Amino acid sequence: MLKVSNLTAGYGRTTILEDVSIEVKAGEVVTLIGSNGAGKTTLLRAISGMIKPKSGTITFSDETISGLSPDEIVGKGLIMVPEARQLFPVMSVRDNVKMGAFHPAVRDGAEQRFEEVLDLFPRVRERLDQLAGSLSGGEQQMVAIARGLMARPRLLMLDEPSLGLAPLIVQQMFDIVDRICAMGTTVLLVEQKAFHALKIAQRAYVMENGTIAMSNTGAGLLADPHIKQVYLGI
Amino acid sequence: MDVLVQLILNGIMLGSMYAIIAVGLTLIFGIVRVVNFAHGEFLMVGMYAVYLISKHMGVHPYVSALPAMVLLFAIGALVQRFIIQKLLNADEHIQIFATVGLSTALINGALMVFGADLFSVNAPEVRKTIALGPMNVLIGHIVIFSAALALVAGLHIFMQKTVLGSAIRATAQNRYAAQLMGVKVERIYIISFGLGAACVGLASALIMPLYPVSPTIGSYFVLTAFVVVVLGGMRSMYGAFFGALIIGVVDSLSGYYIAPDLKEVVYFAIFILILIFKPTGLFGFGRGTE
Amino acid sequence: MSPHRSPFNPLTLLLRLTEPRVYVSFLALSLLLVIPLLLDSPFAIHIFVTICVFGALSTAWNIVGGYAGQLSLGHTIFYGVGGYSAALLIQHFGLSPWLGMWAGAILSVGIAVGIGYPAFRLRGPFFSLATIAFLEVIRLLVIHFHGFTGGSAGLIVPLKIGWAWMIFQDKFNYLIIAFGLLVLSLFVSWAVRATRLGYYLIAVREREDAASAAGISTTRVKLIAVMISAALTSFVGTFHAMYLTFLEPGTMFSLSAAIEIAMFALIGGLGTVAGPLLGTVFVVPIAEAARGWLGASANGLHGLVYGTVLVLITLTLPGGLVGTFGRKVAALIDRLPGARKPEDREAPALRQITGTPGETVLEAKNLVMKFGGLTATDNVSISLKRGEILGIIGPNGAGKTTVFNQISGFLIPTAGTVSVRDGAGMVQPATPDDFARRGVGRTFQIVQPFGKLSVIENIMIGAFMHHHNVDDARESALRVAHLVGLHTLKDVEARNLPIGDLKRLEVARTLATEPAILLLDEVMAGQNQADTRKMVEIIRAIRGTGVTVVAIEHNMQAIMSLSDRIIVIDSGKVIAEGEPETVVRDRRVIEAYLGEDFVHAQGL
Repeated sequence: MLKVSNLTAGYGRTTILEDVSIEVKAGEVVTLIGSNGAGKTTLLRAISGMIKPKSGTITFSDETISGLSPDEIVGKGLIMVPEARQLFPVMSVRDNVKMGAFHPAVRDGAEQRFEEVLDLFPRVRERLDQLAGSLSGGEQQMVAIARGLMARPRLLMLDEPSLGLAPLIVQQMFDIVDRICAMGTTVLLVEQKAFHALKIAQRAYVMENGTIAMSNTGAGLLADPHIKQVYLGI
Repeated sequence: MDVLVQLILNGIMLGSMYAIIAVGLTLIFGIVRVVNFAHGEFLMVGMYAVYLISKHMGVHPYVSALPAMVLLFAIGALVQRFIIQKLLNADEHIQIFATVGLSTALINGALMVFGADLFSVNAPEVRKTIALGPMNVLIGHIVIFSAALALVAGLHIFMQKTVLGSAIRATAQNRYAAQLMGVKVERIYIISFGLGAACVGLASALIMPLYPVSPTIGSYFVLTAFVVVVLGGMRSMYGAFFGALIIGVVDSLSGYYIAPDLKEVVYFAIFILILIFKPTGLFGFGRGTE
Repeated sequence: MSPHRSPFNPLTLLLRLTEPRVYVSFLALSLLLVIPLLLDSPFAIHIFVTICVFGALSTAWNIVGGYAGQLSLGHTIFYGVGGYSAALLIQHFGLSPWLGMWAGAILSVGIAVGIGYPAFRLRGPFFSLATIAFLEVIRLLVIHFHGFTGGSAGLIVPLKIGWAWMIFQDKFNYLIIAFGLLVLSLFVSWAVRATRLGYYLIAVREREDAASAAGISTTRVKLIAVMISAALTSFVGTFHAMYLTFLEPGTMFSLSAAIEIAMFALIGGLGTVAGPLLGTVFVVPIAEAARGWLGASANGLHGLVYGTVLVLITLTLPGGLVGTFGRKVAALIDRLPGARKPEDREAPALRQITGTPGETVLEAKNLVMKFGGLTATDNVSISLKRGEILGIIGPNGAGKTTVFNQISGFLIPTAGTVSVRDGAGMVQPATPDDFARRGVGRTFQIVQPFGKLSVIENIMIGAFMHHHNVDDARESALRVAHLVGLHTLKDVEARNLPIGDLKRLEVARTLATEPAILLLDEVMAGQNQADTRKMVEIIRAIRGTGVTVVAIEHNMQAIMSLSDRIIVIDSGKVIAEGEPETVVRDRRVIEAYLGEDFVHAQGL
């Protein structure tokens, strides 16, 4: 469904990604792991149109999307839930979630989808009228994912959803990701905490210094001792 | 005692004038994050437009409110699209110079076209007073106060209940996330600048019957509007509204108790004190255009 | 030992007259006197007086607005004070304006400090708004106290003719004085730019935090700039009042004139020495000519021209005339006879850091940092020994940079103390520049180069802490540039460098402050293998000179090979401490990075 081919991208004069190629097939959960600074967020930003690639192509359902503007890419059903939640802090949780259905292509049926999404996140339903900025980290993350789901994504990209969350909440987060996939949404999950991500992913890539260092099935990488080397230098 | 109450009432009425202008300024700063030094000149342009429409079409100035608002929305949108937009990533001082330059060009353009004379429109019933108990109020002021209330209420409903309003609030609070929702941020900026200018268009139609217009009328009103905006927390319309009423009352009281020609000194002094000690404003709303 | 070479040494100055840039400038300047002399019409003299006056005002403004980047739109306060002071002193005491000029200047300097001290906390448009407010307040006060100042009706300067009174029959004498003031302003502006003050102002303008980290007291530097600017502006105000012979608050404390002064500087080139004058020369004649020829019917035309040109310049040539064309013109001028390439002398060696190896150089005790409800740092203690390389690692968001900020003065801990060795004892510095001056140098995780300065100038900002003379600083900077391998890029503007070089520049600038302790925040992030290896060598070489190094890193291989000792921080707490090999195999550390169950899954 999503195909990134030989992508080189960065900010201004700096190149972060060098010749990166990954693929996500429909219905899969693919995870991208790697230590901090490896370039994972940059890759997601390039896919969602927030930065323009320097070379290489990105295709989504066989349509070239590299070079399109972010709102056009959202219209095609490629949705990103960004790192560190990025909610609208002084808007209510309800308004935050509803903003997810802003794009004209997904405005139909927003009310019904709102109810469906809230079924996945009962904690969010309890807090609908609170200001989003006053919620805890885990709750904010759920609002962010709920907001992303409102756009009826065909492919949902999640950037480090477990960042800064307590271990118990992290487990809940990954359960939700599992359920989202079971509902038919394809997921590209970027994570630093490798274990949980590798457990639920069918396939995985490891990024290091802006390139893909390893790729395998989730289970395969989980048993691979080389991971420690990539992360901890031992 | 009666004098004090009358003064406060006058102040509130005066303040509502500043409120309409300040709400526009707040919209622009809160969303586009640009300090529009030419805001006063937008008012001036609006007032000349109202004057011309009234004079040549023989209508009451209040009727020109709608065309003035449309005209100013267009001007604001164009300024954003062709000037500010290109400078959004430039150094801050370049943005300051751009709107300052626009302000200078507009003042002097008006000077060339209309000359330095004062023009007024004839709307005598607006200047009549009616009695509210022991106090007197100008009809024109009541209209402005009501308009200010209606404006804030209208904008509130717009921001909270419409899709576009949500998109504007979202852009103001987190531009990056808004883009990820598919919001066309550049278009939001254009609309917001236009809205901010349209507020001034409304103000111009309501102020014209009470004040004569000249090329520099804008500077007089806009400095006060900046004081109001800073007082109210820079990014909150509600803060701007209440800040305006406070400034109006301060203006009225200091004009009477201190000296008429020093009242501006009083609120500029307040302005400077706030900028230095509490830049988030008296109400400290400051996080997004709520 | 390099001798102290002041740029103001008379012999040096005379020698510089043979350089093409200098004599061309003098020739161009002299045209301001020669042309009106040849044209010999009162109107021409008037225009040139106006050019000189506004050129001088704009050049003086540029010291604050251009160099320091604080866009004052109320500068005519000083102009008006200069004018009114002199006029009132003539009126009441019969004092010559040559003396009154000084009274005005002293008053202006006082007002400048009074306004600057509170207002400099404001940035960008808010500072400009504050200056407008101050201008309006003073104008209204002058009108209010009309018994003293003549109020709105104005004040006529008593007409006494002669050089003692600055009032002349022969209009050309006015031009001579105006020209003199212009030359004075230009000289002062050049002098500021050529010395440490100028560099410091630019650094403060570009990046206040990085400037503090280099030991610059930002408020002090801005105040000095505004005092100089105010005095010059006031002198010009005195002269112009004598020229116009009639003062009134509206024109002496005019907002539109304040805007014009700033405008000319922008059009010519903000922050350059010649820019403001060039902007004035470019715009004023057009406007004055229009006013003269078309008379009253063109009322407003000159303002319209100014405003439109200003908007166009911001859209097309934000660097102004000098910013856009300066380089090419300078290159052309340099081809004329007499051009000399400045030779670059390198300082003999970097100062060895003295002190007993192993003694404590920095002690952070029980640091706690809370932001609202969030505890970012939870009881962290670090004891830094002289000459060691300490590595700080930990997962993303663990709070490592927060700790750095507390031990370099950028954050005041909620609880706990930080003390730094100063000679025999320990002191507790208060502000970032205080920490810097006591020998704690730091880099920033997101690099903060001074974009518009060249590589060598960036490093010089650091070198200025211990070398006040520009040439000495340059020599020292060159030495550091060699050490980090940037000497081949020394004249490249920092904003054109790729990330690897920018990281090295960041280290170089901090190194130039000759710190005893060097705090490096992720200096290897985002770089390739080759750059990383270079950086490791550089850090080793730095430690070789006696500097103690603390490095936050994610690049594990690098930090392993470099560090004597490692501290691991997770969720604001220290979870492990010790030798690299031991720490990295610690179960808690592996959990922190990879997740608890990973440890289970791989049977660790």
